[in-house]
Amino acid sequence: VGNLDDSNPSSSALHGVNEFITEAYFENHASLIDSDFQGFISKEIPPEFCEVLQDKLEPVPKLSISHRHLIGEGSHRRLSSSIRLEIQPGSKFTLPAHFCDAILVERLPSGVFADPFELQHLLQRGVFTGAAVFGDTNLELPSVRSNRSIVEIHMDIGPNILSGNNNGLEINLEVPLHARYAPLGENGFSRIEFSPPDLFTRCSFEGNSHKQSCIFLSTNTSFELKAGAVVWDVPCGIKKHTGIVSVVTFFSAIVSALLIVFTAFHYSDTTGCKNLKQM
Amino acid sequence: MATISFRSLMLFSAVLRLFFIIYGEWQDTHMEVRYTDVDYLVFSDAAALMALGKSPYKRSTYRYSPLIAFLLIPNALIHRTWGKILFSVSDLLVGYFIRTILKLRGVPENLCTYSVMVWLLNPFTFTIGTRGNCEPIVCAMVLWIIICLMNGNLLHAAFWYGLVVHLRIYPIIYAFPIILTLDQSHFQSGKKPILTDWSSSKIQSTNGSGSIKITDPCHIWVSLKSMFTRGRLLFGLISAAVFFFCTGFFFYLYAWEFLHEALLYHLTRTDPRHNFSIYFYHIYLHYEHEFALSEKLISFLPQVTVQLVLIWRFAQDLPFCFFLQTLAFVAFNKVITAQYFVWFFCLLPLVLPWTNMKLKWEGWACILFWIGAQSHWLMWGYLLEFNGKHVFMQLWMASLLFLAANTYVMVTFILRHTSSPVFKRLEHGLSNIPTKID
Repeated sequence: VGNLDDSNPSSSALHGVNEFITEAYFENHASLIDSDFQGFISKEIPPEFCEVLQDKLEPVPKLSISHRHLIGEGSHRRLSSSIRLEIQPGSKFTLPAHFCDAILVERLPSGVFADPFELQHLLQRGVFTGAAVFGDTNLELPSVRSNRSIVEIHMDIGPNILSGNNNGLEINLEVPLHARYAPLGENGFSRIEFSPPDLFTRCSFEGNSHKQSCIFLSTNTSFELKAGAVVWDVPCGIKKHTGIVSVVTFFSAIVSALLIVFTAFHYSDTTGCKNLKQM
Repeated sequence: MATISFRSLMLFSAVLRLFFIIYGEWQDTHMEVRYTDVDYLVFSDAAALMALGKSPYKRSTYRYSPLIAFLLIPNALIHRTWGKILFSVSDLLVGYFIRTILKLRGVPENLCTYSVMVWLLNPFTFTIGTRGNCEPIVCAMVLWIIICLMNGNLLHAAFWYGLVVHLRIYPIIYAFPIILTLDQSHFQSGKKPILTDWSSSKIQSTNGSGSIKITDPCHIWVSLKSMFTRGRLLFGLISAAVFFFCTGFFFYLYAWEFLHEALLYHLTRTDPRHNFSIYFYHIYLHYEHEFALSEKLISFLPQVTVQLVLIWRFAQDLPFCFFLQTLAFVAFNKVITAQYFVWFFCLLPLVLPWTNMKLKWEGWACILFWIGAQSHWLMWGYLLEFNGKHVFMQLWMASLLFLAANTYVMVTFILRHTSSPVFKRLEHGLSNIPTKID
């Protein structure tokens, strides 16, 4: 687990709820399986529900992805997501002052990973208010030897967002990702597809008896990609290269070794008089 | 060409490194691409953990001795650039040691200075330390071991040798040539060894060749008996004791995590990701299944053969032997990263005064072929990693070309080298003879 939270000190988790939503999943599961994670979300984070404020917030604002794509080329890219927070006109809010975070949970496909230390660097630069990687955080193993991971990002969406005059808010978020060495293939590229992320909004506010509490507004996106799913084609080794590569590799090593050995054996002790060096 | 004083050279080199340390801090703060090596962040995090009394191995990808993290504890307590300053000072120390070794052998001042410049003004070298790579410390230790041997300080040499093998396993390849050099004809109790002077034109015959000549079975028996000299036994015992003490002590502190990350990982490392080694694509193509024993042996054979022949042929010319061994070790290794080049860069100035290779054009051929092959590889590596092109075959062929360049450099250096064993024979019965220095 790479837990890098550096969130606003004025927000704190509700008693009994983890700072990071995903953390609880990996406390009970060894690896990421989509169906298990969906079940976990349904059970632990009921949609559109917050017991503390259920009378004060109606209807619940919606989070949705308006745009999503990969930026960059090669093995190091950024997954860009534009998140829209929609507040319907005429919504009834009687909330006290509060601070809100948008929470993006990316269930990374096999073959892609996030670097916890890179996320920490972004955290220190203030790009996120919280970031964590859960699951397989090994940075070096190829796909065949690694498991999936989850990245959870928290972004500050400003104070009093739910009681202001804004009808909506758009947040752009970029998560740096890296490709692992893909399994061998036939045609030289391995396709990786990203599933839609899970989105939450969490607001912290001053309560009557408690100094701080949280609201979880979770919205499962019914995000339908206009241009198809986000895909990443990663170069991979070609199986039919195996024979020729092995033969030529060993042949080259042997030839080079023999050249050096031959030269060393035939090195002459009486290699002329030494000349003064002219550099 | 105007002569440059060694003092001016050292001063300029120090200022240059200080500039790059300061610049590195600016770049890290203001630009997306960092100047600082990723490894430095790993060292710093591990040092911070150590400062809190925790294991440095809680930091993932920290695969070094705890001593490195210990040396960098001031990164967490004083300033994050402490480590870079330490590595850069070690870098300058390498330059000083190079000069010391060459002066001990009577190399003229201007030739000493030019040789030292090859290290101090090498862009690869001065960026290594200022970016936060710890290799200059290892290089300084290797050169200090050579100085200790040249001064006849076997105990010091043994101590530092045990320590440097603990820090970085690769110096284990120097064990045999050191042991062979500790011949009773060179090292006798109470006597300082006599060094072969640079300006001497006569090449010694049998021992001058540096190779070990064995003739009849009786001679073999005598040779075997004479292998176990006091000096050799002492060196072996002390260096082994230091190595095992360090290993045992840190195993006591950090258990299997230390053993695996700092030692076993390096001994068994096979990285399928692209690197300069000719084996990388072969390893990637076979990563989904285990290698057969025969495959492992075949890949090991060229390395071992070359090492043994170089030791047998050049052991008495210790710096030259070290240089060739290190270059060969890197070239035939299963994983090659750029920081490994420093291991033989620090030894190159020690052999230059004894080469007949002229800069024009043999020297330039070696430089251009080596840099060209490396740049060629980097081009394909960039296309693969940063442009996502499928260029595995081209990258692998570039690594073959790089091996060819390394082989060419080695062969050229061997053919153009003037044999110069470091130590002269001591006459039995003579009293202390000071080391001959011009």
